[in-house]
Order: sequence, then C-alpha cells, then structure tokens
Amino acid sequence: MAVRQKQIYCRPTLCIGCRICANACALTHEGEANPRLGRIGIRQNLFERYEYQELCRHCDEPPCLDACMVGCIEKDEKTGIVTNDDRCVGCWMCVMVCPYGSMKRNLVKQMAVKCDQCKDLDGPVCVEACPTGALVYEDREDEPEKPFFTGPSVT
Amino acid sequence: MEETRPLCVNAIVNLTDRTVDFVETPEEIIRNFVGGRGLNMYYLYKYLKPQADPLSPDNVLILGTGILTGTLAPNTGRHSVTCKSPESGIIGDSNIGGFLGPEMRFAGIDRLIILGKADKPVYLYLEDGKVEIREASDYWGLLCSQTEAKFHYDLGSDVEVQSIGPAGENLVRFACTRYGVKNAAGRCGTGAVWGSKNLKAVVARGNRGLPVADPQGMINKYIELRDYLKESKVINVLGRVGTPLLYDVSNYLGAIRTHNSQQTVFFDTLNAEEVHKHVEKMIGCYGCVVHCRHRNTLGGEGPEYTTEVLLGANIGVADTAKMIDLNNLVNDLGLDVSSTGTYIAWAIELFEKGYLNEETAGRILRFGDYNLARDLIYDIAYRKGLGDTLAEGSRLVQKFGPETADFLIAIKGLPQSDPHDVRYLKGFALGIATSSRGADHLRSRPTLEILDLPVSFTTQLYGEPVDPNPTSYESKSTVVNFSETIYAVVDCMGICKFVCHGFNSPRNLNYDHFSELTRLATGLEFSKDQLKQVGRRVLDQERLLNYQEKGITRKDDTLPARYFDEPMPSARAKGSHIDREGFNKMLDEYYELAGWDKDGMLPRERIEELNRLRDLTEK
Repeated sequence: MAVRQKQIYCRPTLCIGCRICANACALTHEGEANPRLGRIGIRQNLFERYEYQELCRHCDEPPCLDACMVGCIEKDEKTGIVTNDDRCVGCWMCVMVCPYGSMKRNLVKQMAVKCDQCKDLDGPVCVEACPTGALVYEDREDEPEKPFFTGPSVT
Repeated sequence: MEETRPLCVNAIVNLTDRTVDFVETPEEIIRNFVGGRGLNMYYLYKYLKPQADPLSPDNVLILGTGILTGTLAPNTGRHSVTCKSPESGIIGDSNIGGFLGPEMRFAGIDRLIILGKADKPVYLYLEDGKVEIREASDYWGLLCSQTEAKFHYDLGSDVEVQSIGPAGENLVRFACTRYGVKNAAGRCGTGAVWGSKNLKAVVARGNRGLPVADPQGMINKYIELRDYLKESKVINVLGRVGTPLLYDVSNYLGAIRTHNSQQTVFFDTLNAEEVHKHVEKMIGCYGCVVHCRHRNTLGGEGPEYTTEVLLGANIGVADTAKMIDLNNLVNDLGLDVSSTGTYIAWAIELFEKGYLNEETAGRILRFGDYNLARDLIYDIAYRKGLGDTLAEGSRLVQKFGPETADFLIAIKGLPQSDPHDVRYLKGFALGIATSSRGADHLRSRPTLEILDLPVSFTTQLYGEPVDPNPTSYESKSTVVNFSETIYAVVDCMGICKFVCHGFNSPRNLNYDHFSELTRLATGLEFSKDQLKQVGRRVLDQERLLNYQEKGITRKDDTLPARYFDEPMPSARAKGSHIDREGFNKMLDEYYELAGWDKDGMLPRERIEELNRLRDLTEK
C-alpha cells in the first residue's frame, strides 16, 4: 500500500525558467551555486518555447531503485521519500530509467544526485525559493489512473 | 583534492596564434574594479593598443561576468561585453542577461579576453576550466536562432550559446551579439567585432559548482530580498506587462520619439495593453525575480519599450503585430534595435530633405511604411544597396555633410537608445549627453525624474536636497552623478538594473545590499563608501579610455542640435527645448561633482593611479 505523502508540484504556467529553485537546492545540498547540481531541474528551450520542471515524484515503485546496481537508492517505508547515498558509482542507470528526467548527475563527483524533499529541513528549499509561487508542496489526492487504451468501439 | 577556485579567472584567448592562457586577477585589482563592467574596462585599458582600428585584429574583445553573477543573489544573470566600438570609435560596452554569464562561471572561467583574429570562422567552447577554439564553418551564415538550435543539436541541449547573426558576420557597425531569442549585448556594435575576429559564438557548459562563502546566509538573504522586491509596485507591473508600461507615460507627456523626433506623440496602438494581446507568457533570465520578458505569439520574444518606439513610432509603424514582427526580425538577424530604428528614421528624413533620392536610395523612403522598414532591415544585415550604406551607421555624417548630424539623434557617434525625447526632462538630457558610451539611458538615466516626487522623498533618495522640478536645470548634475555611480556599481556586480535603487524604484537594492551580498558570496568586505569609489573609478577609467581613443572632452558632451533648437510640438511637453546656457551650467556642475576640470578632463593624480593599477603584474 502506497504511503500518503506530501509532494512537490509545479504550476507550469507560473514557471519563468529562472532556475532559482535548482540553484537554491545546489547551495543547500552542495554548498555551491550551480543549477546543474540541484536535485530539481528546469529544462527550458527558448526556441521551442517550453519550460519543463524535472521534479522527483517519489514513485510508489521507483524505477531508479530497481535500476541501481549497488543498491544505494532506498524508499523510506514511513515517509515514502526515495533517497540515494554516496555508495553511488556513477553508472547513470537511474538517470536512464527515470521517466521524469529527475535523476541528476554531478559530473565532478561522478555521482547521481536525487531529491530528498529536504527531509532534514522544515520544507523543500526549492518551494521556499521559487519567486513566482510556481512550486508548491502539498498533499493532493491521487488522480485515478485513466487507461491509456480504451476499449474498441463499433462506430 | 581540487584546489580552491580563485575569485576571478581570466582566459586570454589569442585567435591569431590559437593559444589560451589563464591569469588570475589579483585581489588589489578586484578591490578597485570589483568585476563585470569595471574589470572589463580595466582589461580593455591594459590590452588595447591606443588608437587601434575597431574592426582590426588589434581590437580587444572582453566578456566579463560580475562578481555576483551566477550566485543566488537576485537577478544575477548578467555579464558585460566590452571592446572598442566600431560604431562610435570610443568604448563599446554592453550588458547582457540570459544564462551564458552564469554558465561561464560554472565552467570555471569568469572572463574571456579575446585578442587577434582567426583565419577561419571559429567558436569558443568552455567546459571544466578549459577553453577550446573550434571550427565554426558549419555555423557561419546562420541566423541567431538557427545557430543556437544547431549548437543544441550538435553539442547537447544543455549548452548555453551566445552568437552573432548575419549582421555581425557582415560587419554591420551596429550588429549585436545574442543569447537565446531576445537577450542581446546590443549596443556599440559588439557583434561586428565578433565578426571581424571570425568568432561566431561562445558556447559554455558548466558542470562545476561556484563556491559561495556563506551558502545558508545567501539563501536566507535571497529570500529576504525577494520578498522585499516583490512588494515593489513597479516590479510587479514589470512582471506583468514588461517595459511597454512606460509607453503611455511618455506618450501622454508628449515625449515619444516619433518620426525621427520631428513629432513627439504617437498612436495608442503600441501601449502595454495592446502589446499584451500578443503575449503568450512572461519569462525571466537567470535568477530573475522580475520576469519582464515577453514570449510573443508571433514566434519571438519582446517587444521592449525601446523596440516598440524605435521600430514603431520612430519609423511610423503603428500596427502592433507589424511592429512585433520587425522586432522579431531584427532580433534574429542580430542587429541593435536602438541603432537600427534611429538610422532608418534618419534615412527617411534625409530622403525628405533631399540628401537621398529615389535613384540613390533605390526606393522611395517614407514614414509609416512597414514593408520598406522590413526590406531595409534585411538589406542592412546583408549589406545590400542602401542597406550597405546605412550599415556604416553614424559615420555617414561625413558622407552626407556635417549638418545632417543635427537631426541624427546620436551623441558621440552612438544613437540614443532611450525612446524618451529628452527635451522636457533636463536630467535625462544631461544623462545621455555625458554617458560614457554615447547617447544611452542605461548609464545614467535618472528615471524617477519623470514622477513628481515630494522633496522629502528625493532628499532621502539622492542623499541631499534636489530641485523636484524636472524641467529646471538646477541640481540635475547631482541626480545624474548619483545615478551613473550606482549604475556603474550594479554593472560590476552583474545584477540587473531593474532591481537597482534609483533606476525605476527608490526602494530597490542599494549599496548596503550590494556589500552584504558580496560578503556572502565571496567573503570580501566592501563598505558603502568603497563601492561608491569603485563606481567613480570605473567612470573615470571609461573617460580616460574615451580621451585616449577619440579625444573625448567637453565638446563631445552635447546633444543633437534638434534638442537645442526645435521646441517639442505637442501635449504637456509642448514648447520644451534644451537651453544652451542652462545646459552648460549643468555640465559645469556635473564636472565639478565628478572631480574633472572645466574641459571634462581627469585630474593628473587619477590618471597616474589608473596607470599604476594597469601596470600591476598578474599571476
């Protein structure tokens, strides 16, 4: 049974692509500025005109956990938070399997970095830092899954 | 274990010999010039051979990030592009937002100093503290958008690219360099210098972290300042509609540059409300809390207030969609909007006055002709026909005769960027007349002059009592002196002027905030007074460079004759013009406050100080 947990959600129309969330995350977790080192990422293409927020969903059945060959990714049974630790060898399998693009690479340390919802702080720093309120940390009802294929119709 | 990163790493790239050297800026120099525009000016003075031809290999091209660029401090996405300007022949310096500046720092390089000329088209690739000079033949000839898309395809979608378009390649003297769809180091023709060096683009991928002295302190400070800035009314409005909000303000005053400043009132179709019908979403640059950039529904970004007037009112195009289309075109070709709009309007007036005719111009020039403007913009970028002539910019005064300069809205060879006709507001007039790169509002415009603020308020703002009447000549020198000093400091920091004290709000970031943020980011302590002195030193350095390159003195700190001799024709500002006597008095006071002599020259001690700093050796 999945744990009911608060999640970081984004309201994409409010995202301006400033990468402050990612930078604040990097400063909190790495002590250095660089949005690439953040656990959250903003993938922006100014020509194709989109901002996509790479957020960890802390999946019920995390593909990254299954893919990790050293077993350094864990899902906390009580809180539901998926974390990794520094046993990571940098094989990037988790990066490949994440369907949301939210596993990040620290290329200097050769280690994967992943969102832990700032579990040791009062709340996620990205949500706190977002200048437009695009990011929220909420407990929402799960949307019932809609079947991708509907039954054949005879019309 | 990696050694600690120096505060400022400069890569000296010699394109002729294809070598790259690295030097660190000593702390004494950082204490004197801080970074960004300040250090760029320092290095320009150090490396530029006096009187060099701007389009020759002797010109020095510098891309320098500010001391706060890339840190979490609000709106720190900016860097400065500096060289000797091919348009004006004096310093060329242009500040650009977007994401390249931070990315350069994350790649381990704070400043690129580019010398010489490559024999074939090249681009610079920055990663992991290294600079590679790579072949760019495949990219040459592409539009700005195509160039960036191709780099994203070839090198990965996560690289940041600043490039020139066809205008820069064809050495149009007012070509710009561009990041993304719209961000531009627009002014002073920096793009032509890139083109003259066969440099198509600078590409960065930054994987390294940028050390911050006090990370937690920085996060707390950022959150405090963000909440402080978000309370500001003007920042909220800028975030909603962007700079077009100023259109109505100037238009009701009767001070919109219309038809090459022959008129001063234009249609309401270009105001913020109309423009906003074409806006899909507002977006921001790196670390931005303002988000003033429009993503328009016509396939580009913008327009800014500057664009809508200079490619709208100034050439008579009143249709909002057509004006936005011109904006998108100019952006993609890599031309400076302000200069392009001013020269086209000037050419039309030259045609009206008979300096050009149907035979020499190849067509009939008239105001309000969108198709003509579109064709001319293409012709300028690709240097065809009349466009080839206009691509020479303000130098054409020599071709058409010195009297044509009277109605070319340019100072020191650089067209006015501010769409505001300065004949009404005397502070604006003094600002553009004395600005170090030519007629430019981002150097010293005391924007708040446009509002009728109470005396108690202006006293608090400028630190001393000033005359609240915007049309008086009294104490405008104080206002301009205050503005140019803080703008110089903000450019050294790498922060956007939209969150700078005095630029459009009296309660944005001031010296105290800058010194606090610098301490949190780097550990260096600067007092308020020291920062002010840095601002003055940068301005003096620019003055010295201008004197060295083109003998700039009092005679050049002036306005186009139209501003002196022709009263404004309409609305509230009707009848305003600049009085020569009043202007000279303002100039006298301005020089006195700057510590310059009556002729606008630096004192000998200051020159000696700047020379001593220049001759300091580096590691």
